[in-house]
Amino acid sequence: MPEILPYLHFVVLPQVIDGLIIGVALALMALGLTMIFGLLDVINLAHGEIYMVGGYAALTLIGWGAGYWGALVFVPVIAGLAGWALEDFGIRPLLPRGDRAVVTLLLTFGVSLVLRDLAQVAFGTETYSIAAPVSGVAFLADVPVPLYRVFVLVTGVATILVTWWLVYRTRIGAALRATAADPDMTASFGIPVRLVYGATFFYGCALAGLASVLLSPIYAVFPTMGHDFLVLAFAVVIVGGMGSIPGAVIAALLLAQVHGLASLWIPPVWAETLVYGVMMLVLVGRPAGLFSRIGEA
Amino acid sequence: MPTAPLTRTVPWAAVTRRGVLGWIGPGLLVLALLFPAAAGAFYLRLAIEALLLGAIALSVDILLGFAGLLSLGQAMYFGLAAYLTALCYLHLTQSFWLVAAIVIAAVALVAVLLGAVAIRAKGVYFALITFGAAEIAGKVVHNTRALGGSDGLIGIPVPSIGLPGFALPLRNDLVFYYVVLVAVTLAFIGVRRLLATPFGSVLSAIRDNAIRVPYLGYNPFWYKLVAYLIAAEVAALGGLFYPLLRGFVGPDLFGFDISTQSVVMALVGGIGTLIGPLVGGVVVTLLQSVLGSYTERHLFVLGLVFILFVRFLPGGLFGLLRRDEPP
Amino acid sequence: MIEVRGLCKSFGALHAVSDLEFTAPEGRITSIIGPNGAGKSTLFNLIAGTLAPDAGRIVLGGRDVTGLPAYELARLGLARSFQITNLFFGLSALENVRLAAQAHEARRRFFSRLERLAAPAERARAVLAEFGIAELAGEPVANLSHGDQRRLEIAVCMASRPRVLLLDEPTQGMSPAETLAIDQLIKSLTGRVTVLMVEHDVDLVMSISDQVIVMHQGQKLFAGPPDQARNSSAVRGAYLGADHAAA
Repeated sequence: MPEILPYLHFVVLPQVIDGLIIGVALALMALGLTMIFGLLDVINLAHGEIYMVGGYAALTLIGWGAGYWGALVFVPVIAGLAGWALEDFGIRPLLPRGDRAVVTLLLTFGVSLVLRDLAQVAFGTETYSIAAPVSGVAFLADVPVPLYRVFVLVTGVATILVTWWLVYRTRIGAALRATAADPDMTASFGIPVRLVYGATFFYGCALAGLASVLLSPIYAVFPTMGHDFLVLAFAVVIVGGMGSIPGAVIAALLLAQVHGLASLWIPPVWAETLVYGVMMLVLVGRPAGLFSRIGEA
Repeated sequence: MPTAPLTRTVPWAAVTRRGVLGWIGPGLLVLALLFPAAAGAFYLRLAIEALLLGAIALSVDILLGFAGLLSLGQAMYFGLAAYLTALCYLHLTQSFWLVAAIVIAAVALVAVLLGAVAIRAKGVYFALITFGAAEIAGKVVHNTRALGGSDGLIGIPVPSIGLPGFALPLRNDLVFYYVVLVAVTLAFIGVRRLLATPFGSVLSAIRDNAIRVPYLGYNPFWYKLVAYLIAAEVAALGGLFYPLLRGFVGPDLFGFDISTQSVVMALVGGIGTLIGPLVGGVVVTLLQSVLGSYTERHLFVLGLVFILFVRFLPGGLFGLLRRDEPP
Repeated sequence: MIEVRGLCKSFGALHAVSDLEFTAPEGRITSIIGPNGAGKSTLFNLIAGTLAPDAGRIVLGGRDVTGLPAYELARLGLARSFQITNLFFGLSALENVRLAAQAHEARRRFFSRLERLAAPAERARAVLAEFGIAELAGEPVANLSHGDQRRLEIAVCMASRPRVLLLDEPTQGMSPAETLAIDQLIKSLTGRVTVLMVEHDVDLVMSISDQVIVMHQGQKLFAGPPDQARNSSAVRGAYLGADHAAA
């Protein structure tokens, strides 16, 4: 079969590369969700709206003349502050409760509704596009890839590596992992657990903001942009194991490939359904996901 | 500030006790019976919708308030029942009772299969599995042309309910309203009766401390599964009538928005009270509709109401009335 | 009444329980003592069905019950208390006991109205009275004192009319006076139920037990009447260190 190699090279490989780029961005989103859950037992249903806030913040900053690169720096900070505020005003008073997993989930759902509607008030329902800051095409193994997507890939991978380094190789990360394992014990060592929680929310939401700036030139900005992406990110976190950092990255790359490759042979809408099918299979077979939670062995 | 638990421990005894709460139910029923005399056509249809959505909220309460299980996918049974109902009236039969039997059987089958999987998963994973299943069901319907795809199914004929000697034409809004009111009331009484049993008391024990229950000689799995099955059928009750109200069904009936909205309704009314979620259904539906006619921003208000309830009034409206006494 | 034959359980390289054998005679009090990490808790979890053994048999009243889930064991007449109070804290004291009684007295009437099921409620009140906490029947367990909660823990077990009662450190965290009262209570159960107890308070164990089993590093070091246990050099060795045993 002489056709198989060209088929792999010119049909399958571009799809794999595209899936890789989407997967990396998805991993940023899933990392924030999984860190927040791993530490606080909070399922942040407002995470998608934080992502949306990032998109509109980028749009506004660019409109003010900050340029794409300015947005790339400032939007994660804005999204992070939004996350910090959410933790401080919304989540924190609910944490002592035994049913905090349920109540915080409901609270963040309320926040997501409010933010989505506020975006409509401020920006309307139109779809805005953000111009990519770099044009041109690079060739990866003879496959043409827009230069901007290469940039997204490199930035995303770098961010994932930095996150890994922060969590597993720094004192801050050690405090974070200790807090995830046993907050009371960690507090008794004099580590400011409250600050660790706030910082986790800040960092997790900053990652969503970064993902938003990276993906906006590819997918555009609109009020419900976060909603669908969140559902996908949830599938990732569930497959990877709620609260697992390596799990989130691996599952994001895996599910993006499932989605991308399946789209070659079945309609894209069914490829998306397939992703959720994979999620359900994982839940049935390994109800706690593929990898264990942060702070656990 | 002290925060009361969201799910107050109010099992069988408080539910059946004739306190203030005991008289609110009959009082509300009288109001509901008199309501058509005061309401125009628009509000009559809105009330039907509120009751049907309230049924999903009731099903959320059976799970969350009594078995301690948060389902984020109760809309799946609403959607499943609605689509089955629509398909039956379009292609199979005009007999209300036959359709009801088909829907009950199909929902039971799905609930037992999915419930057996979901209940084995612990804590938050139950919520995620129910959410995932509903998401898949919605996507499958959305992608299937035979089910109308994203357009849904339209032109569903409205049947009459055949009874010995006469028939109730659901085309008549007044008849439709009373039929739905009776159906939801019967479901409510049935659920309340079911929970005022040893079965219900074991459920409240499971919610309080699931780990201890097996050592008393109960297998929690079966209790949760039965609760899940009952909740699915109650949500399906809404789906059995909804297509007849709207004349069409769409894939959004399976959606996350309806699932979470029903949790909001239960929360607003008061989780663990059974009657609260029905009232919450009416309040939230009315709020959405009234706000929708004055302002575009009903989502905003819904979200805000939700945040305020979670944060400051976790017992819901009925939580205010109920004194905190254990059974 | 309850027999353990060649029971083994390992967690990785740790042999928590290895090749354990003993019999707890009918209607008597058997106590298990040993230093921390001796495998007492693991043994309890194996017998109560919380953990499944790697090898060995557990025989309850002549029936092999190895590996049965906790709820099956409970139905066969095995009740257990917990080292850390494990009750339904949001429910009343009466409801806690009633739930235990109901499991054994109302099996086939699970969808009857509760008001019509008088037997479990009556039995629950009787048990509360017997344990001296009848006046607390309506109180939520969360409001009870630690001592009353420990009492209730045993009352819940007894409400199911068990054949075998496993008590996991029943006096944990109690004052000397409360300990004495529980001591009397457990003693009064002699003849009605087979008691298997893990306890740290050696004086309590020696005063009420019919048989003492000493565990060390997952193995049985000694089994016999309390006065012999007191004089056993092996027992002293386990508690005081190998040097003393040799001396």
